[in-house]
Amino acid sequence: MKPFSFEYFKPNNIDEAISLLNGYGEDAVILAGGQSLIPLMNLRLARPKYIIDINKIAELSYIKDTNGGLSIGALTRHREIEKSDIIKSKYPILSKTVSLIGNPQIRNWGTIGGSISHADPAGELPTLLLALNGKVKVVGNQGEREIDGDDLFLGYLTTSMEKTEILREVYIPEISPKMGWEFVELTKRSHDFAIVSVAVLMSIDNAGKCNDVRISLGGVGSMPVRAKGAEEFLLDKAINDDSINEAANIASEEAEPESDIHASAKYRKEMVKVFVNRGLISALDRVRG
Amino acid sequence: MNFDGNFKFNAPREKVWKFFMNPDMLAKCLPGCEKLEAKGENSYEAIVKIGISVVKGEYSGKVELKDIVTPSHYRLVGEGGGLSGFVKGEVTMDLEEESDKTIVKWKSVAQIGGLIAGVGQRMLSGVAKILTNQFFKDMEKELTKEESL
Repeated sequence: MKPFSFEYFKPNNIDEAISLLNGYGEDAVILAGGQSLIPLMNLRLARPKYIIDINKIAELSYIKDTNGGLSIGALTRHREIEKSDIIKSKYPILSKTVSLIGNPQIRNWGTIGGSISHADPAGELPTLLLALNGKVKVVGNQGEREIDGDDLFLGYLTTSMEKTEILREVYIPEISPKMGWEFVELTKRSHDFAIVSVAVLMSIDNAGKCNDVRISLGGVGSMPVRAKGAEEFLLDKAINDDSINEAANIASEEAEPESDIHASAKYRKEMVKVFVNRGLISALDRVRG
Repeated sequence: MNFDGNFKFNAPREKVWKFFMNPDMLAKCLPGCEKLEAKGENSYEAIVKIGISVVKGEYSGKVELKDIVTPSHYRLVGEGGGLSGFVKGEVTMDLEEESDKTIVKWKSVAQIGGLIAGVGQRMLSGVAKILTNQFFKDMEKELTKEESL
């Protein structure tokens, strides 16, 4: 378990990091918490020539509750998010989701920016970002730009960020306290990659009809996806066992998982049904208080 | 790992066949192909560099075209390896006419071993499908390009 040799840089600020990234291009890689990259390097599956370690850039680590949303610096560790009181009270789905990532050691090191830019389709945060209507701010030598979560993930470990851009901040729009939520996942062991994960946010009006719903699925294909068919079905409908069951069926039908060593595509489809069902029931319980 | 599919080309079968038998075109459209050199009749030596994100590998090996039935069928048999693992497999191609269009039906059987199979298994079949689609799309692009010349 030893990596190939590489050259190591530890820039003091973002500008330095960007100029290094520009200089070394394809052969360089950003090291944040290292919880995905380092194992891949030690297994020699990843053999980058240049490592740009951004851990010294303290300005990338923050949690800011602003008017209308939450801004989290890319280098913020999962554990800081998990323990944040403001997130526990105003964005509880984020606290819970982060608590499901790996184990405490992984959460002590792993960062929100690293997890999202690594774009593992079974990772918790990419899946959640979609349900939260979140976006990321990325910066390169052309300046800064925003990318909606919906436009960020392109496939396995692939995002729409340029090779020379760094993820700087994750932004999550405010969640109404009236919204019910849940994040559930199926794993063989608690810290494994999810076989299927489901994020749900839902609110209902006074008549008991759904007026906002977002369901995203992880682990069922090359990138996390929104279960659009199930969402459309639920909107403006009375939420009860029947409509929840039907929405879970629709989500299962629209999911296009692959088979792998952990689970067959058929099993994953079935589990989408089960976990969307569970997620919606739990979200409804929370809406009703 | 077995998978199959089909792809429709907007060109007559003779033309598509010629394309599929042309090593220069194959080299151009095979994702990550760095070299495809003829080593004998219908046999080639190849170097491909494929991967996703930080997980990239270089593989070298031999490719042979077998059971050629002009202009409708052939079998591409290959094996190769690199630092991250090895692959051994074959793709059967069947070209069917549909009025002035061609449907290429392909079926592949692959054995993948070594590091990449153990650790990368979770994403292998998905990535293989993406690369295959990319190959057919690039072939179509080249075909259209030639037609417009």
